Amino acid sequence: MVAITFVAVDGLEQRIDATDGLSLMENAVAGGIDAIEAICGGNAYCGTCRVHVDPAWRAVTGEITEIEEPMIEASGDTDPGVRLSCQITVTPELEGLLVRTPASQS
Amino acid sequence: MTTATHAPGETTGCPAHAGRDDRKSAKVAEANLAPAPGSRVIGSFAAGRDILRSPKVRQAGASADVVDLSHPDEISFFFLDGDLHRKRRAAVAGLFAPKTIVTRHQRVMNRTMDAIVADLQARGSAPLDELSWQMAVDVAADIVGLTDSDTNANLARRVKKVLEASVARKPGRLNALVFNAKMLVHVGAFWKHDLLPAIEARRKQPRDDVISHMVKENYSKKGMIMECLSYGGAGMMTTREFIVMAAWHLFEKAALRERYLTGGQDDQFAILEEILRLDPVASMLHRRAAEPVEGVLADGETACISIREANVDEAITGPCPFQLDPDRARRMKVAGPYMSFGDGPHRCPGAQVALHETRIFLDRLLRLPGVKLVSEPEVLWNPQIQGYELRGAVVACDRG
Ligand code: HEM
Ligand code: FES
Repeated sequence: MVAITFVAVDGLEQRIDATDGLSLMENAVAGGIDAIEAICGGNAYCGTCRVHVDPAWRAVTGEITEIEEPMIEASGDTDPGVRLSCQITVTPELEGLLVRTPASQS
Repeated sequence: MTTATHAPGETTGCPAHAGRDDRKSAKVAEANLAPAPGSRVIGSFAAGRDILRSPKVRQAGASADVVDLSHPDEISFFFLDGDLHRKRRAAVAGLFAPKTIVTRHQRVMNRTMDAIVADLQARGSAPLDELSWQMAVDVAADIVGLTDSDTNANLARRVKKVLEASVARKPGRLNALVFNAKMLVHVGAFWKHDLLPAIEARRKQPRDDVISHMVKENYSKKGMIMECLSYGGAGMMTTREFIVMAAWHLFEKAALRERYLTGGQDDQFAILEEILRLDPVASMLHRRAAEPVEGVLADGETACISIREANVDEAITGPCPFQLDPDRARRMKVAGPYMSFGDGPHRCPGAQVALHETRIFLDRLLRLPGVKLVSEPEVLWNPQIQGYELRGAVVACDRG
């Protein structure tokens, strides 16, 4: 289990015990993080699973991948830490990861 | 809240599949479904998803197998795979984004619905699939950029003729000749009255739509026609059927209808997605393994992923998979449509568009004074697209 914290816009913090090997999105949905809508089920084609990765963690989670670009661009979300959580695979290196969820996913 | 949709006296006995079966298209599908010869049917949701998400598979099935991949600029991205497919899809991704639906497509949906309602109230009754077709065509046409036709009703009529001709091909040489001749006439009319005016308008003033993108990328005439027809088949014909199916369920089940009209939008989507799970418009997807897919497909093997079976796989639906339960997906923490829009790189880009237009159509229709379904549809089967067709449903409302 990998401990990951989601922080909502109102400051509410929720910690989940994520499963190694699944995506951050799948773990968030299973862990009851309502701000992760994920309406395309993890296919990088809805942009409703966006997270803003804390600056301290960006080197570990990595840059936006090519497949994420179109939907992130279409969402108009310009946060420097924005990623689609369905394209981040949870690994033990993410122990302690902190991400924020946007005010709206649409 | 599974009880919300139970009619008095109905059994809720489950598991063992002896309980209620709310599917309306299962019988006709069972009698007619024809997986591609030599393909292996995959019914497990997890295995189907693994195959559809694997980069090692390619599009397959009747039409994909006869497409000439050596001219990628002349075929729809539906038939492409890999990098080229990803690029072609990425170029139009913004058109399907949730934000675009809210800021742009909903306006078209509401405008079309205003016209549909006015027409229905003036006539007193109308065939339901005629109304749903108008909605499906208007919305997809705006996304594609087919907005320079004489009237939308004529555009809808011409697109219908081309699509019907393209799927009504019977075997035999004479039939093929007749088909080709008919098809040429219909495609010619569509080109002259709809596509060409749109292309000319986009050359002068590009917009945010598929045709502007194709003009910018110098698509050939054939390439543009093929792409438009793909959107027509994939987006218009499917949505027409789904709207009628969802309307039929809602007219029939008073408690469900009440919930639809009093719940919020999220609840409306949950209801629609659950109907689509039970009665998916697309029934199967074919993929050929270009390399072995570990644990599921051997090299060169073709899989027929059964959307119908995957959607009732108890491993992912939980118990009583044949019962209409709008709370199921939330309870199971899965995406509501299950496999109905496919999965992986080819997953339907128009999924949210289809759900939004259906939601708006039914929300407006079901609130009309005196609205009723005066005649239920007949469930037919279209062997070319391997999907159900609902014909003969008539809705009526008070004349206004
Ligand atoms: C209820 C309505 C709809 C259903 C059930 C549906 C279903 C599907 C399915 C199952 C696929 C996957 C095909 C595959 O994997 O081989 C697909 C692909 C596609 N759909 Fe939809 N669709 C619907 C509405 C729409 C709409 C409204 C549009 C556009 C306006 C659209 C455009 C497309 C396109 C372009 C593809 C091809 C994507 C690709 O190959 O990458 N669909 N659809
Ligand atoms: S779940 Fe749709 S983009 Fe991530």
